[in-house]
Amino acid sequence: MSAVANGFAALDGIEILAVDGLLAVSALGLLLVDVAMPAGNKRVIGYGALLLLGLAFAATFTLDLTGTALSGAYVGDGFAIWCKRIFIGAGFFGVLGGLDSTARIGPRRQGEYYQLLLMSVLGMTLLAGARDLILLMVSFELMSLPLYAMAAWGGIGNYPEQKGPIPGMTMPSKRRWHRPAEAGLKLYLVGAVSTVVALYGISLVFGLGGSTRFAVLATTLTGGPLLTLAVAMIVAGFAFKIGAAPFHMWVPDTYEGASTPFVAFLSVAPKAAGFAALVQLLLGPLAGMAATWTTLVVVLIVVSLLVGNLMAVPQQNIKRMLGFSGVAQMGFGLMALLAAGSVTAHDVASRGVRPEGLATLLFFLAAYMVANMGAFFTVEAVAAAGYTPGKPADERDDDDTLPTFAGLHSRSPALALAGLLFVLSLGGIPFAVGFWAKVWVLLSLWAAGFGWLVVMAAALSAAGLFYYLQVARSMYMKAPVGADGTTLPAVKVGGGLLLAIVLLALLTMGVGLFPGPVMEAARIAAGL
Amino acid sequence: MTQQWLPAFAYLAIAASASAIMIIAGLILRVKAKVDEPSKYDTYECGEEPDGNTWIRFHPRYYVVALVFVLFDAEAAFVLPWALNLRELGQFAILEMFLFLAVLMVGWLYAVRKGAIQWQ
Repeated sequence: MSAVANGFAALDGIEILAVDGLLAVSALGLLLVDVAMPAGNKRVIGYGALLLLGLAFAATFTLDLTGTALSGAYVGDGFAIWCKRIFIGAGFFGVLGGLDSTARIGPRRQGEYYQLLLMSVLGMTLLAGARDLILLMVSFELMSLPLYAMAAWGGIGNYPEQKGPIPGMTMPSKRRWHRPAEAGLKLYLVGAVSTVVALYGISLVFGLGGSTRFAVLATTLTGGPLLTLAVAMIVAGFAFKIGAAPFHMWVPDTYEGASTPFVAFLSVAPKAAGFAALVQLLLGPLAGMAATWTTLVVVLIVVSLLVGNLMAVPQQNIKRMLGFSGVAQMGFGLMALLAAGSVTAHDVASRGVRPEGLATLLFFLAAYMVANMGAFFTVEAVAAAGYTPGKPADERDDDDTLPTFAGLHSRSPALALAGLLFVLSLGGIPFAVGFWAKVWVLLSLWAAGFGWLVVMAAALSAAGLFYYLQVARSMYMKAPVGADGTTLPAVKVGGGLLLAIVLLALLTMGVGLFPGPVMEAARIAAGL
Repeated sequence: MTQQWLPAFAYLAIAASASAIMIIAGLILRVKAKVDEPSKYDTYECGEEPDGNTWIRFHPRYYVVALVFVLFDAEAAFVLPWALNLRELGQFAILEMFLFLAVLMVGWLYAVRKGAIQWQ
């Protein structure tokens, strides 16, 4: 009742939610601007979203966001701030790289798209510091719900056959027209089911622990068969969200169907948010159940590495290939989580192990973000630059397959170089940022005592290089000739997409060459 | 352990027996038709002749109206308990409710501007 008696006390420390407040006001404000604007092309809302996300990103550096707010339900620490930067950064690049595509898909509906994206980012940033089961779930759903609508963007409604194409819009083929709807529905069904599963687990945790606050739960949860069930449900529910095998079936289909710049956002930000939620729960109130959840996580890692790396090899559609590669990458993220949960105080005291798991996870998520978004933007650039000329409109479905990358080196040397950088980073080749991320994860896992897992992950990563290098081979060693013998056109990239690719390539290379400061920042963020 | 769960098990037992009793009582008590009347298979057994089948298309404006209704339904669900406890909650609650209503109003404004309640 104390919270009721002095309501204004609940506002103590609310200033650490300044960035989240900015995002909330931005999202609502853009919606109001959207309805106040005359109908027509609303591209300017995209610029507004970009500016506001940039402001929010800068605010995470200039404002002091550490502290406790909402009567202890929200804690701003290094971890939360680092995660916020990843989320807002992913949102920024998602808007920047998607400016053209969003305007192309639905010129009149751009306001809604950016509003949904900002709402999703808001859910993520709130999630990053949640120390309360209800806040955690509500913010997780605030993140998820907009994603379902955004995945289906452009896929709803009848194909305008009789009325003729919409002015100012490049008409896709009929099959392609309905594909985003399929992507959105798959994401929605799997997302809804996984939410239910995770929520059931969380309700059991609440029932057993008698509180929604993590601080209370950490002392009241004692174990038992029901808590084991709850932990299993929570891990399974969030494994769906991050797309770790065997809960990955939605990943390739959704990636293939949804618009590529959105997939670039979807493939990094919600995954990082899923990891943030897992870290909050598993390293927080459920840390006492580490024996149970580490077993489950080990299973997820082994299956993810196997399924992701092996299923990526035969994929011809490059977005599906990146989807399966993402499944394998999630295995690496879970390895960092495992390392974070397995190093006990005893290990630190007796063997001098540094508990670096959480820091490696933070670094890994950032590295994965820049490389994966860059890879998807490269796909978008190649696909948007030219449907195969001479083909009828109905057959223009094959624009994200591997053959469209043939001879990209001679069609656009700079784009090929950037694409090469991104796939090398994802593959973990030295001096791209992904290399340091993978090595650091493996080292921390080795220190945590999972030698066999390290050996397996290293072997499967080497196998994974095959499909990453297949893209490189297509770009650099094949003639720029399509499957039907026509010469593929030169690729011109401009505007926001170009800027996004350049910035991400610079980040991938820059942090790859000088990883030290960022790793140190990750250590500090993880509280080491 | 068992002591703690006793109410839960009792609840489950009552729930299960209640549905069982309803089904069994229905079997015993209900009036059974002697002959197999075709009207038994109608959509409404109350004498109303159904017109057409149920697989018809509804105009999407019903869906939009339902969405706008949810907006105010959710509002009422929060405003009513708030009004009852306003005296204890104090100034903070007033501030918070106006914030909540402002966010809802943005949604309302959006719906109106997009023509959600225009009935053509």
